[in-house]
Order: sequence, then structure tokens, then C-alpha cells
Amino acid sequence: MSSDQAIREVVYRACTALDEEDFDTFMAQCAPDLDYSVTAYSPEIRKEMTWLDQDYEGMRALLEMVPQHLKRLGTLKRHVSVYFIDRDEGAGTAAVTSSFIVTHTDPDGRSQLFVAGMYYDVVDCAGDQCLLKKRKAHLETRDLGIGSHIPI
Amino acid sequence: MAARRFADRAQPPDLKSNDYVSGAVYHDEGVFQTELDQVLGKVWHFACHESEVSNVGDYRTFQHAKQPLLVIRGEDGSVRCFFNVCSHRGARLLGEPSGTASRLTCFYHLWSYDTEGQCVDIPREEGYAPTGLDKSALGLREVRAETRSGLVFVTLDDSAPPLDDFLGRSLEIFDEVFGDDTVEYEVFHFHRSTVDANWKAWQETIVDLYHEFMHVVLRTTQMTAAPMTERDMRTYPNGHLAIGGLKADYRNYKAYSARDESKAFPGLTAEDARFTPLFPDTTIITRGTVMRIDTVTPIDPHRTIVESRGLGIKGESEADRLMRIRHHNDYWGPFGRNVPEDAFAAEACEKAFGRGAAQYQIIARDEGGQGQDDLMLRAYYQAWTDMTGRPHHNPANE
Repeated sequence: MSSDQAIREVVYRACTALDEEDFDTFMAQCAPDLDYSVTAYSPEIRKEMTWLDQDYEGMRALLEMVPQHLKRLGTLKRHVSVYFIDRDEGAGTAAVTSSFIVTHTDPDGRSQLFVAGMYYDVVDCAGDQCLLKKRKAHLETRDLGIGSHIPI
Repeated sequence: MAARRFADRAQPPDLKSNDYVSGAVYHDEGVFQTELDQVLGKVWHFACHESEVSNVGDYRTFQHAKQPLLVIRGEDGSVRCFFNVCSHRGARLLGEPSGTASRLTCFYHLWSYDTEGQCVDIPREEGYAPTGLDKSALGLREVRAETRSGLVFVTLDDSAPPLDDFLGRSLEIFDEVFGDDTVEYEVFHFHRSTVDANWKAWQETIVDLYHEFMHVVLRTTQMTAAPMTERDMRTYPNGHLAIGGLKADYRNYKAYSARDESKAFPGLTAEDARFTPLFPDTTIITRGTVMRIDTVTPIDPHRTIVESRGLGIKGESEADRLMRIRHHNDYWGPFGRNVPEDAFAAEACEKAFGRGAAQYQIIARDEGGQGQDDLMLRAYYQAWTDMTGRPHHNPANE
């Protein structure tokens, strides 16, 4: 099974690829049975909410359309701290729990916090390359201003 | 013809006065105060959906026209609205956005109120005996609340006409959606966004059909799915609007798929899209299988809170709920393909109007009430003019 460093790297590479809007590299970090969701809890309606839920093909199609959209100017930067790696040797997977914040830098160079939350990932470590099999990005921040066409 | 000079920006367009809007409606502080007093302080405002306060003691807190309010379902089953303010020292009573309580107790000196707003407990009440203070006269200040089709509205105006008079027939395109007694709706999605734009700029993104060109999802799914001549724009008294006749072929956007016809709401096909912008700050939108309700709350002339709800059918299967959530998120929500672009547009206009670089906007498209006519924009601003007493082409009387 892969090293902890290799498991961490798939988390980091997935984030840097999204930061750079390099969607081919991002998809290359993902397993074919990818399950990618963004969730948040609403204290207003007292419910867990899903704000994005895509499988591999859905994510690929979504990202391929991004260049045709009118989207927030500037860049997003994901700052990730991997807290825990819990291996399941039998399944060949690792559950990875990370904290993240995403900053937005506008075209004038001003940065501000966009969103804070946690990644609950499952990494497939069975093959030669670690792949992101499942991600639940749970957001603490719920006011996202104008939002984002690119998943967190 | 040469580009216009900077000084020319103050020159009104060569159009009839109802075909353009002055930028002062977005940034003038006097205009904003008039809006708070004469528009937002007078109308019926959508507060929440009944499903958010479905049980006795369920409450929701929110702001309207800068006032802190709460809606609560009482012991008698009625939904009431009160100022979210303790009668004692004026402290905010409830701090959470929602909750359930049989008594509302102020954190400060523990004065308590029942679900009907009556003051029911004052600690060491005997200390007020020499003053004759009467607890029965110290209930919460009530705000009128009425419900229609599961939608809870409130008004700060004690003399406002009844809700039914205010709405009139404006919800008629949803008669079948709301009229099926076997179908009860509930909110599954809520998010609040602070947008750096005037509150009306957000409403414009709803009633301006011409801006379909901005959205790739609308260019691909909606603009060619049905003839422009089938679009049915309607205007109603009190500034309410509606549009029907819109269709969407979701297969035409790469990341979408066709929607199951059997999952459409009553009276709709899965491809139908209908909008009802309720003047001045609320919009109900259905896209066949899912519903969205938006409301805007101005913070100041340049910042706005947009609250968006997604609704499905109460008691539906988990699979159906997941489908509706997906359909909701395809267009709407913070990661949708549509809503972030509307917010982008509102903020882009703010950058120009908020600084005076733009002085007027044109709302002159005339397609006979079909296609991408600006009819609804003109009707919106006519109602705004009627309520503010300020002509939208020159609201600051410059």
C-alpha cells in the first residue's frame, strides 16, 4: 500500500490542479468511481444540504464547460492541512481528514477568505497511483458571495 | 459616430422617460431611505415557507427593511410575526436563525414570552409593583403575518391591505402547482449570499429576459427550446410580474440530462420554466421538477443579502429528493451554473453605477410582450415610481 506521503500528495495535487484550473490534471487524480460532493449544514432550515454532487463523468463534463461560463475574476487558492490518515488495508483505501480554507485573490491583488471547511476523502491506494475515490467537502462558510463555478 | 465623452454620461438617453432608469436609483442615499420607508416598509414581504415552522414553537428569525423580526408557530397553530426585541431593555431576543421553543426567554434579564407574544414571566416582578408596570401590556410587538400557498408573508405596515389584495392573481401561473391538495412542499436548500450590489440589481437579473445571452446554460437549454413568441409575460397590480411559456431542453447542456416527465410538479411538464417576481423583493421560480424562492434584503444602497430556497415535495422518496436537489444545483445554489453569473452581473453594474461612471440604464426593448421584451423591467420600475413617488428616470430630482 502507498505511503502516507503519496496519500497526502493526491489530496494536495487535486487542490493545486483546481487552483490552477488545470482540470485534466485534476481528473487524473480521480478514480473512475469518483463521488465528489460539497455539503453544508443550514441552521436556518436545520438540515444538511448538498450543494454539489457529481460522479466522475459528471465532474468531467462540468469542468469541461467551465471555460464557457462567466465566472468570478481572479484566482482561488486552497490551503489544506491533512489531519488524519486512517488506512483500511483490506479495502486498499485510506480515509483522509483535512481542514481547508480557500482564499480568493481579485485581479487587483487583494486576497480575502472565500470559504473554510473540512475535506473527508477516501483515497484508493490499491494501484500504482493513489486516486481520489470520494470527497465530501463540508463547508463551514455558507455565505459564498457570488459563488463559484469550480468545485471546492 | 465617435465614442461618447465622459461629460456625456450625464445626458439622458434619447428615449421616452419610461424606457430608461437613472443610476440614482442604485446609489442615492435619499432614494434608499425612501425605499425603506415607502416600499419595503409598506409591502408584504416573503418571510419563510411554512415548512420552516411546521411544529408548534418552531421559529425563524430574519431581517426585513433593517428590522429584526421573528416568525413563530403558536400553540393555536397560527404563524405570527414579532419584532425580535425584548420589551424590557430592547435586547435582541433570539440569536439563532431557527429553533423550537415553548417560551421565548431574553438572555439579559430572563423576561419570557409565550408563542403568542404575551409576556408571561418577569423575574422578581414585585420589584415593579410601586410603578404599576403591567405585564399584560408588555408583550412582543406584533407584525402582521399571513400565509398563502404555504408562503408566509409579513408587513410592517399596520394599515396595509390584506395579503390577498396585495398579491391579487399574481400567483396564477402556479395555481396547479400550489393547488394540488395532495402535494405539500418543503424547503431542502437554503443559502444566503452577500452581494456587492444594489438590491434592485438582483431583481433585474430575474425580470430581464434579454440577459439570457449571458448564461451558457440558458443559451443552450432555454433560448431555442420553445419559440420566443410563446413567451407569456404578465403584469399585475402592485408591480407583480409573471412569465410562462418558457421551456428548457436540458440535454443541450453537456453536463445535464433529460428530466423525468413523471417527476414534474403538478400542472407542469419537466421542461416548463415559470417565474413570478413579486414586487419588490421576492421571486418564485419553477423549472419543472424543482422550485426556488429568492428574496433580497438590502443592507445599504451598495450591498444586498440574497436568500435562496430550494423546495421539493414533502414525503417524497429519497431518490426523488436527490433528483430534485441535483436539478436545483444544476442551475442554482452557490455552485450552480446560473446563479453565480447573475451575481457577477449585479456586482459588475454596481461597480459602474455605484461610482457614477454609469448614469442610466436602458430598458427599452419592445417585442410586443414576447421574446426578450423589457416589459417586465418597465413594469417593475413603474411600480417602484408609484410607491416611492420618485420617477425612476430622475429619482433624485436633479
